[in-house]
Amino acid sequence: MNDVPPGREEPDDDVEDVYRRASALDSSRPSELVRRRILKHAEERAAERAGESHAAGIRRTGAASQWRRPAIFGTLAAAALAGLLITPRFFTPQAPSTTATSSAQVQRPSSPLPSAPTEQIEGRAPATAADEQPPPRAEEQGILKPQAFARKAAPSKNSGADLAAKNAPAKAQSMAAARNSAADGNSDAAGSSAAASDSAAANNSAAANNSAAADASRPPAMSGAARLVAPPGAPASLLSDPAAHLRRAAASGDIAELQVLLGKQTAVDARDAGGRTALMLATLQGQSEAVDVLLAHGADPNAADSHGTTPLQAANAIGQLSIATALQRAGAR
Amino acid sequence: MTVDGESDETLMVRYGRGDAAAFDRLYRRHEMRIWRYLERNVGNRATADELMQEVWFAVARDAPRYEPTARFTTWLFTIAHNRMIDSIRTNRRHVSLETLGYEADAVVGQLTADPRTGPLGAAMARDQAGALIRALEKLPGEQREAFLLQVEGDLSVEEIAAITDSSFETIKSRLRYARTKLRETLKEHA
Repeated sequence: MNDVPPGREEPDDDVEDVYRRASALDSSRPSELVRRRILKHAEERAAERAGESHAAGIRRTGAASQWRRPAIFGTLAAAALAGLLITPRFFTPQAPSTTATSSAQVQRPSSPLPSAPTEQIEGRAPATAADEQPPPRAEEQGILKPQAFARKAAPSKNSGADLAAKNAPAKAQSMAAARNSAADGNSDAAGSSAAASDSAAANNSAAANNSAAADASRPPAMSGAARLVAPPGAPASLLSDPAAHLRRAAASGDIAELQVLLGKQTAVDARDAGGRTALMLATLQGQSEAVDVLLAHGADPNAADSHGTTPLQAANAIGQLSIATALQRAGAR
Repeated sequence: MTVDGESDETLMVRYGRGDAAAFDRLYRRHEMRIWRYLERNVGNRATADELMQEVWFAVARDAPRYEPTARFTTWLFTIAHNRMIDSIRTNRRHVSLETLGYEADAVVGQLTADPRTGPLGAAMARDQAGALIRALEKLPGEQREAFLLQVEGDLSVEEIAAITDSSFETIKSRLRYARTKLRETLKEHA
């Protein structure tokens, strides 16, 4: 006899099947009072939590409005100040375009292109003086010659590019800084994610082992639970015999696993050594959800086991009336 | 994904956020597995009822702290195991299974007498199923618990070892002994 210890990979179907059959036949259940207490308690907790999260939402909103008001006033004040500074410029009489050109030169003395003579610049600095001079005189000075204007306009046009070029190193620096800070942020995020993962492990262990916190004699169980944070093994669906796992998932009412396996086209009516399909095992275990899922995926409601017992007969025999009804709806005889 | 198809972990997270219906779903999904684990380990329905309440109260209380990094069933059975150990340590109205043979008799009697089981159920109960229940209750507590964690919790050897704070080899050994004895019982009643 093979004495290899049984794991989930090597289930002892005989023992397990008989155990499950016995469990299906065992009408022992928690008392109705306990069930009601549990569900009521859970409902109360849920209501508390829903209330807490609502209150937290209100608090968050309140905190936001507390900051929003000064922010709005600050923005308005800044806008008003900017308006006060900018508006007078609109009321100042516009100087001729030459003035604008030379003023651009004044503003940008470091322009690499040849600039106007200093006296010209100085002569045009006061806009009123420029206005007083008749245009022909200005032409005489050669300032308003189209070529000169074009030449002078060009640096003025280029001034933006020049400024950009001038500012480029600073900009590059700030972008690099931003990238660095983003990278720092990412590494922080990664760190916090790892920390969150650790704290999740601690949370689960602590939750599962809340009594262990009070019982110092049982810390190993806590560390044991913490070890479970690592994936508890490959999912059953990935193991060798999907049909066997389908039957087990059906018998244990593991709907999520059942859906996964059925989604992978696992043979829904594959039988075990006793000729039982997943539908039969789910029926024997009273797993009505699993029965519904299997029927929805086309399980044969009339697939009898090696004794000739159909799922409907089994459901009727063990008093699973809702399952029997579901089977009949699916065409069971 | 439908509500029915939602994983335990998703339901637990939903409940942690205040969705009572998610708990209801989870409870109904695992009620009998936890019940059988507790009742067959402690061998006393009143104690099992108390433990059942404590386990699910703990689930409800700790739900906001639950993080779906481990399987919900592993977490659930860890709570159940710890509560049961607490109960045994404090000897809170716990009576060992060895002195509670009548519980097994009651279960077997119920299996055979329950009119809902009908001829098929009665026939099944008469032979191997009833014998297996008796044999299970006669197993040493550690072997029985390992077996129950495996069949009711659908847990791996590694997970059982972690929950019971035992080595992997120890659990393998307990499961081997438990199954050998149960298999012998089945052969006797084949």
